[in-house]
Amino acid sequence: MRTIGELAKAAEEALALVTGQPAVVEVEVFAAANSALLTRLNYTSHIPCNGVEEPKSTESYGLGIQAVFDAPDGRRIGFGSEPSDLTPDGAERALAKARTAAVADPEFVSLPARSASPRALANYHDPRLMEIDDQSLVEAGWKITGGALRTFTASSRLAALAQDDDALRRLGLIVGGDVTILRERVAIASTAMPRAQTDETSLITAFVTAMVESRGAKGSGASTGTRLDHFTDEAGVEAAQNAINAIGGERVPSGVYTVVFGRQPVADLLNNIVIPACAAGAFYSSSTPFLGKLGRSVASRHLSLYDDGAMPGLMGSKGITCEGLPTGRTDLIKHGVLAGCLSNWYETQRLLRDPALEEKLGARGPAAEAALVPRNGFRFGAGGGRQFDSPPGVAASNVVLEGAEPLTLDEVIRRVGSGLYIGRIWYTYPINGLRAGDFTCTVVADSYIIRDGRIAAPLKANAIRINDNIATFLNNITGITKDVKGTIVWAADEVVYAPEVAVTGVHVDEIAGFMEELD
Amino acid sequence: MTRISVDLIETVTPLVQERVHEAARRLPHLQYADLRLEVTEAKGAGAENGTPKFSGDDQTLALGVRVLAGDRMCAPGYVGLMLGAADVPNLARIIGEALEQAYRRAVVNGEMKADAREKFGPLGEALADTRLHPVEVRQDTVGAVYRVDPRAMSLAEMVRYATDISRQVDAVDAGVKYNYVSTLTELSRELFVSSEGARIDQTFALTQGTCTVVTVAGEVSQDLYDALGHQRGWEILLEGVDEPLLRFPTFLDFALGLAREGVALATAPVLPTSEREVVVVTDPHYNTLVSHEIIGHPVELDRALKMETAYAGRSWLLGGLTEHQIGRRVASPLVTTYSDPSLPGFGHYKYDHEGTPARRVVHIDRGIFRGFMNSRQTAAIFGGEPNGHWKATDASLVPLIRMSNTVFDAGTRAAEDVLKEVDHGYYIAGHRTPSIAESRENFRISARRVYEIRNGELGRLYRDGGIAADSRDYLMNVDAVGSDFRLYPIPNCGKGQPMQTKRLGNGGPTMRSRARVIGR
Repeated sequence: MRTIGELAKAAEEALALVTGQPAVVEVEVFAAANSALLTRLNYTSHIPCNGVEEPKSTESYGLGIQAVFDAPDGRRIGFGSEPSDLTPDGAERALAKARTAAVADPEFVSLPARSASPRALANYHDPRLMEIDDQSLVEAGWKITGGALRTFTASSRLAALAQDDDALRRLGLIVGGDVTILRERVAIASTAMPRAQTDETSLITAFVTAMVESRGAKGSGASTGTRLDHFTDEAGVEAAQNAINAIGGERVPSGVYTVVFGRQPVADLLNNIVIPACAAGAFYSSSTPFLGKLGRSVASRHLSLYDDGAMPGLMGSKGITCEGLPTGRTDLIKHGVLAGCLSNWYETQRLLRDPALEEKLGARGPAAEAALVPRNGFRFGAGGGRQFDSPPGVAASNVVLEGAEPLTLDEVIRRVGSGLYIGRIWYTYPINGLRAGDFTCTVVADSYIIRDGRIAAPLKANAIRINDNIATFLNNITGITKDVKGTIVWAADEVVYAPEVAVTGVHVDEIAGFMEELD
Repeated sequence: MTRISVDLIETVTPLVQERVHEAARRLPHLQYADLRLEVTEAKGAGAENGTPKFSGDDQTLALGVRVLAGDRMCAPGYVGLMLGAADVPNLARIIGEALEQAYRRAVVNGEMKADAREKFGPLGEALADTRLHPVEVRQDTVGAVYRVDPRAMSLAEMVRYATDISRQVDAVDAGVKYNYVSTLTELSRELFVSSEGARIDQTFALTQGTCTVVTVAGEVSQDLYDALGHQRGWEILLEGVDEPLLRFPTFLDFALGLAREGVALATAPVLPTSEREVVVVTDPHYNTLVSHEIIGHPVELDRALKMETAYAGRSWLLGGLTEHQIGRRVASPLVTTYSDPSLPGFGHYKYDHEGTPARRVVHIDRGIFRGFMNSRQTAAIFGGEPNGHWKATDASLVPLIRMSNTVFDAGTRAAEDVLKEVDHGYYIAGHRTPSIAESRENFRISARRVYEIRNGELGRLYRDGGIAADSRDYLMNVDAVGSDFRLYPIPNCGKGQPMQTKRLGNGGPTMRSRARVIGR
């Protein structure tokens, strides 16, 4: 990987080179190097397999240039990039692409200006993760797989179900998932902020699903961290144990239930519906369920939600955004009231100048400005990384959900009395568009039936579908646990630090009864 | 330094072949290696609310390597790289290093697999050598089809075109509050070389237009999105497409139609949810997503063999190597489904990304389940001939089993008759958003428009509705299939870790079945 020094030097040299070019009014140079190392896991006791299926990696580095040009018909803004070349030649090629691509966007105001707030986070990456070798990558995968297989092997419950070795394999023991190590280095310099700012991030995650497939029992486990020496087989052990615990799952009939949403479901609902609804672009395009509601109640007063990219030790933390602005805390919902939006420089500038601002956001002037501080201009690519070849979009970093009345899970379940604990949901989308708020998903693992204020039995995986509206989740809250845990969702940019949330009046439909008859 | 072009593939093919074969000869315990190199020259432009927003003219160079190797056990290792013009002079070194790195990963992986096999007793026995099913080794060159060369398009003209369409969409009605229009035209060339001697050089043209419209009426917003596209040049946006299986209006008419639909829907009532199953007639556009979600995905053999358990899910069609639905009835005798890379559109190709000649695979033959899309590795595990469905979004990414053109086959009934026979039911038109159960055994898919059917005629229009059903029940209840088969592009199918978003094709005719309608 290219060093942070090389990237900083390249950003400053490119800025100097481009600044002097004909018709260039303003410029921003973003240099980045990304490496994603990933081992995909696939163990199946009843099907020949590799155990660790794919030790693999993707790497890239390069320069991205956003430039404003004087033109006969007014200013034009363009973006161009050049991979694998940090030299002046690379900068010239990126600039040429930006010049060719420039358009007269009437909503463009300026490139980002320096923030009054100082940077809060620096030097938070693990150098060992930056230098990991092929052997360590493969070992990390086998560590997780081994943890799951040890748990299966040691289980007296599985031994009781399978009297011999063949029967044990026929139980259909599955371990799937991955270990991902993400390494990012960026440097940015611009006309408004000419001295290169740099940022270096590393993180390691394990995301595991285990099954006792013949019993329809599924469990999951995850671990997240920013340091290699903290990485253990925890996620594999947890997933296998949860799968074993799910044996004997029961069906429940269609109806309206009080549901305790576990951390993954909370993260999934936030990731697919609430966080997109808080993005400035959703207000601009009139597609958010929170349209015109800044300063108004949108959720239970027990609920607060914020994004904070500058918290030390959290997995989604960054020192600066991909616009060179400091990361920090943005309150999205405070005690149930809509308090702010996720935004980047461009979205903030154009929304503040939108004639329909008050109709769209619900406020104007200082209140709107306070709600639209651009702390979330990132250039995330699929699978992670801060991409040199795209202009900034809007993405969350660490999203934290908190309750006003911190409770333990036992207290929440006691309070619920009768209902469901849902630990993992699947394919959660705003099924009728974001503003309508309707969502649906199925329940795939880690779930239980609550009776008499305690966990009574596992809930059968893939046997119910939730059909409801996000307003139910946000408003019918009866309890939020005090402990939050970093939770990642497949293909999501952000990390949600999620508690467990109890919600009344959730519509559930029983599904897929025919699966009981399959052999 | 010159700009990267698709011509690079031709120039470097001998070098790539030499490197792959040299590695295969030199590296001990290497059993197989393949390498993919891909150049894409793409141009795009976008506009929002009648104003230009972006344009781009760029080239990408991607490299991917797979090695199967090991001493005590054979295992895979992979490397992927995104490269640039500055890398071209160093390509021999870069390819050599990538092969070495993938080899090191495979060897370490093989050793650890052997250790685990010894360590975990009966559970270790499932750990097996990685094998690939043999395929015919081909050397072939496949050209792209287009009239307007994507490389010849003027970026300024693309911006003007997108902006003009966006402006016209904006002017459709005061209820149109937002629109985003984007266009893309590109030429990509893919080289596949294997240690077995394969050399496949395929070039693809692709052009796409997408439109997002948000219409508002009071407290209601309707956000609609749709895409048209084909493996052709810019001409398809200006002239539309009129082929036997694939038909589109011009992109302008396509976008204006979406806007008018959004305006009508914003003032329509919400579909009421039915308590129980009702008769539903689904149109070809809606069935495009149904075929994608409940036919295509569950017949991907990597998913069926549990390799996607943590991500895209499993398949209800396969429990284990001997417990599966092959040969069993899973649908009405009126239902036949297949995947066919020889059909036109986004799902068309001649060879997949491991050089397997692609061919039609029938999944359901008159209601009986027949088989899966596969790869060489999954065919070696499950049996059957490889049918050429191992595809990656770009060469730096590891391929997965992907749909080509996965469809419901046409029936014999006139679509109008399928509707006219319905005393009371719902007509479900245009797909919107899916939510599918983990093994694809149940689905809820929303529609763009839902109409009540009374006495064989379309009645009231509803918004925010769709249908939900258990997949097998829904397929078994099909009692009429139209002859009006249409193929559509799917521009954004997600699968894999990291997520790969891929273009492919789906389609079907008008069909009639039973399901709950779900609105609010």
